[in-house]
Amino acid sequence: MGLPIYGQAARPPGDDRGQRPLWRSLEELAAGRDEGRSPEFAPGADSPPDALSRRSFLQLLGATLAFAGLEACAPPREKIYPFVRQPAGLVPGQAVHYATAASLSGYGVGLLVRSNEGRPTKVEGNPDHPASLGGVGPFQQALLLDLYDPSRARGFQKRGRQLSYRGTLLELSQLAKGHEADGGARLRFLLEPSSSPLQAELRRRILERFPKARFTAWDPLSDDAARDGGRIAFGAPLEARPQLARADVILALDDDFLGFGPEQLRLMREYAARRVQGQELNRLYVAEPGLSVTGMNADHHLRMRSAEVVGFARAVAARLASKHGLASLAPLAEGARATPAASAVADDLARARGRSAVLCGPRQPAAVHALAHALNGALGNAGSTVRYLKPVLNDLSTGPAGLAALAAEVKAGKVDTLVVTAANPVYSAPADLDLEALLEHVPNALYLTLHDDETAEACSWVLAASHPYEQWGDTRGPDGTVSLVQPLIAPLFESMGEVDLLSAFLDQADLGARRQLQELWRQRRGGAGFDHDFERWLAAGLVPGTASPAEAPAPRTAAVAQALRDLPPAGAGGLEVGFVPDYKACDGRFAANAWLQELPHPVSKMTWDNAAYLSPATAEKLQLVNGDLVEIQLAGRAVTAPVWIQPGHADDALTLPLGYGRRAGGPVAKGAGFDAGRLRRSDAPWFAAGAALRKLGKRHPFAVTQTHDSMEGRPLALDFGAAEWQRGKGELEEHRGDPASIMPAMHAYEQEQYRWGMAVDLSRCTGCSACVVACQSENNIPVVGKDQVERRREMHWLRIDRYYQGAAADPQVALQPVACQHCETAPCEYVCPVNATVHSDEGLNEMVYNRCVGTRYCSNNCPYKVRRFNFLDYRGEMAPTEKMLMNPEVTVRTRGVMEKCTYCVQRIERARIEARVAGHPIREQDLKSACQQACPAEAIVFGNLNDPQARVTRLHHDERRYDLLHELGTKPRTAYLARLRNPNPDLA
Amino acid sequence: MSVEIRTVGRAPDPLEPGPLILGTPDDRQLNDELLGHVYRPGRAWILLFLLAAGGTSLLLLGVTVTLVVGIGAWGNNVPVAWAFGIINFVWWIGIGHAGTLISAILLLFQQKWRTSINRFAEAMTLFAVMQAGLFPLIHVGRPWFAYWLFPYPATLGVWPNFKSPLIWDVFAVSTYFTVSLLFWYLGLIPDLAALRDTSKGLLRRRVYGVFALGWRGSARAWRHYRIAYLLLAGLATPLVLSVHTIVSFDFAVAQLPGWHTTIFPPYFVAGAVFSGFAMVLTLVIPARKLLGLERVITMRHLETMTKVLLVTGLMVAYGYMMEHFIAWYSGNPYEQFVFLNRATGPYAPVYWLMIFCNVVLPQIFWFKQARTTVAVIWVASVLINVGMWCERFIIIVTSLHRDFLPSSWAIYKPTWVDWSILLGTMGFFSFLFLLFVRYLPAVAITEVKELRHELAAHGPSAGHDAVGVPLAEEESNA
Repeated sequence: MGLPIYGQAARPPGDDRGQRPLWRSLEELAAGRDEGRSPEFAPGADSPPDALSRRSFLQLLGATLAFAGLEACAPPREKIYPFVRQPAGLVPGQAVHYATAASLSGYGVGLLVRSNEGRPTKVEGNPDHPASLGGVGPFQQALLLDLYDPSRARGFQKRGRQLSYRGTLLELSQLAKGHEADGGARLRFLLEPSSSPLQAELRRRILERFPKARFTAWDPLSDDAARDGGRIAFGAPLEARPQLARADVILALDDDFLGFGPEQLRLMREYAARRVQGQELNRLYVAEPGLSVTGMNADHHLRMRSAEVVGFARAVAARLASKHGLASLAPLAEGARATPAASAVADDLARARGRSAVLCGPRQPAAVHALAHALNGALGNAGSTVRYLKPVLNDLSTGPAGLAALAAEVKAGKVDTLVVTAANPVYSAPADLDLEALLEHVPNALYLTLHDDETAEACSWVLAASHPYEQWGDTRGPDGTVSLVQPLIAPLFESMGEVDLLSAFLDQADLGARRQLQELWRQRRGGAGFDHDFERWLAAGLVPGTASPAEAPAPRTAAVAQALRDLPPAGAGGLEVGFVPDYKACDGRFAANAWLQELPHPVSKMTWDNAAYLSPATAEKLQLVNGDLVEIQLAGRAVTAPVWIQPGHADDALTLPLGYGRRAGGPVAKGAGFDAGRLRRSDAPWFAAGAALRKLGKRHPFAVTQTHDSMEGRPLALDFGAAEWQRGKGELEEHRGDPASIMPAMHAYEQEQYRWGMAVDLSRCTGCSACVVACQSENNIPVVGKDQVERRREMHWLRIDRYYQGAAADPQVALQPVACQHCETAPCEYVCPVNATVHSDEGLNEMVYNRCVGTRYCSNNCPYKVRRFNFLDYRGEMAPTEKMLMNPEVTVRTRGVMEKCTYCVQRIERARIEARVAGHPIREQDLKSACQQACPAEAIVFGNLNDPQARVTRLHHDERRYDLLHELGTKPRTAYLARLRNPNPDLA
Repeated sequence: MSVEIRTVGRAPDPLEPGPLILGTPDDRQLNDELLGHVYRPGRAWILLFLLAAGGTSLLLLGVTVTLVVGIGAWGNNVPVAWAFGIINFVWWIGIGHAGTLISAILLLFQQKWRTSINRFAEAMTLFAVMQAGLFPLIHVGRPWFAYWLFPYPATLGVWPNFKSPLIWDVFAVSTYFTVSLLFWYLGLIPDLAALRDTSKGLLRRRVYGVFALGWRGSARAWRHYRIAYLLLAGLATPLVLSVHTIVSFDFAVAQLPGWHTTIFPPYFVAGAVFSGFAMVLTLVIPARKLLGLERVITMRHLETMTKVLLVTGLMVAYGYMMEHFIAWYSGNPYEQFVFLNRATGPYAPVYWLMIFCNVVLPQIFWFKQARTTVAVIWVASVLINVGMWCERFIIIVTSLHRDFLPSSWAIYKPTWVDWSILLGTMGFFSFLFLLFVRYLPAVAITEVKELRHELAAHGPSAGHDAVGVPLAEEESNA
């Protein structure tokens, strides 16, 4: 407490009035005053931060002497001028793409970010990056919204006192100096997991200065079990990296590799490439408790409780040992109970020796990972469909064990300064650690954050973090490839990066992250042409030759068998509660992101919420219907959650997505969903048995974008079993070709130079929803909020329809992305009274926003219901930073106007201009729609149907091609390719 | 009137219709009675007027909210992009049909019983079309550009899309309103002159005088008047068929199952006449009581109108039947689903209410007892209007809420704004109607007088239109 509270100083010393409680409201009187929490007048609030009072002048004078050597403690000076002479290649109005990378859980994905006049406006995948291959997930794209979020944390606060950047660095320098004496014994860092070589280097140097300081990494979605499994199986913490291009049979043990994880994009590409005819289809078995994105795509979804997965895997091992002569697996199969499914899977795996893959998800314990390693080893998959790589993270342990050890130290009072850069640990830590209370006991808890969240409330120092797209740095992909991270924009708000914060403990923050990065890589890859190389790496988005080499370890069966024996038996009785990362909020870090909040959940199509997912049979047993509020009790803790009945879910189990029920973090995050993490314990972070459920008799409204799950027998999302395909493909004839009509052709589209069209391959589509976010970002699509989604007024131009087929207990899932079909004979066009929707010569169904009066007749007459209406002024008043997010090439629509997919007409026109300048026609590589560009599975292809060589033309002539609602005669330009399933005949 | 009394007098011929005018009033008496409500408003009028003014404010509130907030204030969504706005539009337009039918078609067919109710029905038509005309304006997303639906010579050189049924609507409805207004006003001229001549206040005389266009009642004027009236009737007759035919095109021209039906034009016209007559009855029954018009609007009129209800009700029922039959016969699964969904889906209660009100209920009019009991007629007429509103709800909402792709199926729920606008238009309609009966003769006096003279000249058994039983005789029976 530096300065007195405003007004108190006037009181004579010794005045006993100071003893009387001071209060500002009755609530405060009742609760007892707590000045530290929310001082109305923060200490020093009566003087401007850097005002020159006599006292502060003297302070500064002293400081100037003391820190004369630190004169440069300021953000590196970066100058900004208008262009006097325009740089070559830079044209105002023309977007520029920059390569960078974003990391999640420490693993980087290479990106290309489009920048319009210096504003990043769209995130795309870097085709050269091995973890992206050109695809991009919803998270990386939606990060862009966070960048411009007006509720972002800004500035620096120490105990409620505002500090300038310079002031913060001074304070940090002082703080660091104080820890020098005991070698940093009371200095701790709690970091976001990272694979950054620069961070590793800074940590090394910090440990040189403070040998007794410790770094802990915390990731609520830690993949520690994978490394521990490697330790068990190989004696080294190796990670399995599947190569699905060669895999004919894939067994995923509770592994949602198509929906989540650092390699999602690459695996989706490899998996999807093997789902089309003309080559051997792969076959995917998924054993899991819920219904994940991977489960939706499985040829066989084997639903089982999380704890039963190991038994299933052992049964597979037993069958392989007994039936297929893989004797090395025999010790692993002790006590396994054979099931028909396990036997069939084992037979299938055995048939595809060396071309199969057993994948194990991070939710499963280490022993199951070890078992998967052993299975892959025995099947000869190691080195073929599964590579083993050294871990790339700077910390081998990012899970609750490390955090628990840190918490114990804090509890024992051994920590004076705790530097937190992990994302919101107070919210995400297992509930039994009670981190919130502990942090308040740390004298200097520094928190570097993007949002004012739960952790910010508990920490004494809150430092606004620069957005990942505002900083320099580096990161490694899951295969070890290093990407350089370059900022797309100078920090919009006063903030600092993690590199700056760590450097401050070395008194080197003035160097700036860029210089440090350059120096590091000069040391590592120095040479004559370094500066040129560095520029090249920045442009390419990766440093070549940095991928880790594959290891060839041998599994130690005995150790694996021992680990399996040591596995604690599944708790009997009650419901099993499983925790999963949410496809939208992740672990809570994206809860403040409105794009992701409103993104329909890939499986349940839920927005702005999470729920306790359970199976139809369990719901019936407990007499629950969708939206019933229940209290879930587990080991003395309870949360209240609404239930959602999920077809395909395992019985007697609950799946609780993490990341919701935020208590702070901005208006978007707060109030959505419930916090499943409060049931999480550090000893059972992923699943635990013995939960009880009590119905509360109240209901919760969900905002769901698809409320009808059956196709009603209509031929919409068509699929064929691989076996029936040859016999059944003739059926598709009635769903394509020119419909009978007495109308003469209105326009000879074949005569035009361009005839735009799209093809959507349902065999490739996994429903991951990356395209939905891409479309939202590219086309300035507003977010409407939970209430409006409940009223069914969501604005997404592109939606992914999801239908269940067959029994509710174990349905097959059909997925179908649907956007405007650009019908050649469009029903929407002739009914518009004001000619606001018209056809272009190249076949686009064009929407003329400024002509639209909003009769909504077009929407009524659209059989695909892809038109979206601005029922309210959804854009409203935009904050200045939000305006920067807008794609300048797409109109921002007003209230009362209809809108819909345009086939990214702005991209067509941009390509047309560029092609004209270059003097050639628009080529296939010149033009991609936003959804196509994002799609990691290459399921969406857009192009010129008048180009016989174009991929889209070939797909339009594919034997799997059909038109949606072909019999209506709308002649859609978007063609669908029927999905092929590849079920195991033995499991029919 | 009881059986016992009837046995005292001459046994009435059950096939002989009742009188069109009770008693034998002379012209002065008729003048006095039929203009009485203009000069001496009752307390009931004031009460009703306040109620109607309250309803009108509700409309203003609803419209203001809609204009300020946007269509989002309503319950509409995607897929149900049209709902209350268009339902109310079609409903009010339908109600507006009886007026022209009564004044024009029945005039051409020389139906004498139209004379006492035509003014009434025409006014109702005008006010109903005014309510209907409100909806296309407020239901567009950007009402400030609603004029783009008119083919005005814009500097942009952009014309409306003449392929769109909504443009046809603009023409159909505006023509209908114009012709109805002219027709009504032309009919009013002699009565306005009568008002001018008998009003007490100077202002009233002046105002009525201006609107009477200098009518002196000369034979020459009467001759021109008659010709003009007949010509307008001839012009208005095709409109009776065209307006609702074109309104039905809004649906029939779309490709949506449940809308895309060739039976819609005749079926909509029948439904419109059905609802129009129901509304005339709903209004005329209390009005003849309150305004003391029982002498000229007799049980004979009411009974005749119930017969029209019965006939048009059967046409509507036939329409329903054919819709369902064709859906089945077409073999189109989408079409079949729509009709099954109407009867069994989430809006099934509305569907069955519609079937009850429009198909089952009118069958009571096979019975003379029902046709001649005022309370029964009134309740039935109100329910038929409810039923016809439900019909439009069923056509519009159930077809939209579950169309081709089940992924976009949704439930539509109206908001308080939707309800206020519906109730508000009823209030505004009543408001206009009450003003009408306050300041203008609700019955065409000249025509009634003419009818009386005709009846007197040709005797009780003249023509197929029969007889006014002398009031004295009727009274003596009682």
